[in-house]
Amino acid sequence: MNGRWIQVAAALGLCLVSVACKKDSPKSTRWEDAGSVTVNIATSSSAAAIPVGTFNKFFPKDGDGGFKRIYSADKENYAEAKLQKDGKEVAQLSISDTERLATARDKFDAATEKVEGYPVLKVGNNQTTALVNKRFQVKVASPTLDHEARKAILATFDLKGLSSL
Amino acid sequence: MTESLYTVLEALPQTSLTTHILDALDTFVPGEWRNITVFEEMVKDVTGESDEAIIQQVGERAMQLFADESTGYARAISVFKGIDSASTVAGVAALASMAGQRFEILSFLNDVTPKPDTTQAIDAGVKLAGELVAFTLTNGLPGDSVGDFAAALVNYGKEEKIRLASWLAIDCVLPLGPDFVLKILEALDGPLERLQESRAFQFVSAHLPGGVAEQRDTIKKSLEESRGQLEGMVASHGISQETVLAKVKEYIAIADDKLDVAAAALDLATNTFEHTGTQTVVRRVVSRAYGEI
Repeated sequence: MNGRWIQVAAALGLCLVSVACKKDSPKSTRWEDAGSVTVNIATSSSAAAIPVGTFNKFFPKDGDGGFKRIYSADKENYAEAKLQKDGKEVAQLSISDTERLATARDKFDAATEKVEGYPVLKVGNNQTTALVNKRFQVKVASPTLDHEARKAILATFDLKGLSSL
Repeated sequence: MTESLYTVLEALPQTSLTTHILDALDTFVPGEWRNITVFEEMVKDVTGESDEAIIQQVGERAMQLFADESTGYARAISVFKGIDSASTVAGVAALASMAGQRFEILSFLNDVTPKPDTTQAIDAGVKLAGELVAFTLTNGLPGDSVGDFAAALVNYGKEEKIRLASWLAIDCVLPLGPDFVLKILEALDGPLERLQESRAFQFVSAHLPGGVAEQRDTIKKSLEESRGQLEGMVASHGISQETVLAKVKEYIAIADDKLDVAAAALDLATNTFEHTGTQTVVRRVVSRAYGEI
């Protein structure tokens, strides 16, 4: 009988602990200040947003370079696709509008390379990116392909078509 | 005001009854899921970058995108939460006690009344519709073709894949058996009132176009179109009533061997959609931020 009560008491104790811990507290502190940054970075723009469905047609064709292309996101101002080879993801491709993110556009001031006349940069270790018409950022991200290979994929986008938007 | 992105992820428990269940189900989709509950770790996992400045930029941009409610990411998380909370008794994590490395579902939870088959089938169908709604809110409808949700399922990975495996195992196969698709479709064809009585449906329907009849058709369509993929996954990963129960019992002590009781207890005691759904949305926002910076 005593043992039973101990079990119940233990269970109740666990109840309280579990309820209190149902949600963990944030585990890191480095993002605490980012909330205010968020407010500050948000920039307004008079340019119209790029509607859903606009960017898809400028991605490389399915099969280009021997890659299977799978669209993975189609949002306002942003579209994304993945390239696969033998069922494995090789690269992530994206087109985004920098109209509301000046830092993304301004980094191209330092670009020294070009693809089809558009400035090209390496970002971090895994990304190669181009800026079309001083507004649309076209990116290839891959931890396995090097900068030159990613540049070659950039050239398979319809950059001219994108510049006509 | 929406909660910030990193706190949404970091509020997820590192260990819980839900994570134990997901660990148990990992056997069906080995190596797909890792319980990432630290934002920085998620940013590193998505980008593969080690440059701290890049990681900070990506994280901040992701938080910015999430805070903008028009992007739909916060709503996607609320849908995942809604599907689970409709079936989960509040605070039920408290019902689990640790017995060594195993969780034990206390005896009175084993006394839960199993749902009637039709209710279980309808709830399973509605959860898939919830997945469709959350997918659309998160990713749009990529590729210009409406209704290509089934095609997207083929490419599900990581948190998405374990969530799908968990839905198949706990919501479909365990309580309904191998012909679960048929049972769900039949149940959906019953009186519309039954569908409306589903608490999960009351939540998901707010995000589906049209009246109840049209919403029912959408749920059926999403199931019919993904049927081949779902049944293929069940077959290729060896998901059966026996394998699910055996695997779950390695991690969780369930006194009762009745499959419908076990399924009902697991449904009540876990929130796999909320847990992995939050991870999916955070991953997708971070992925977009990486594309945009």
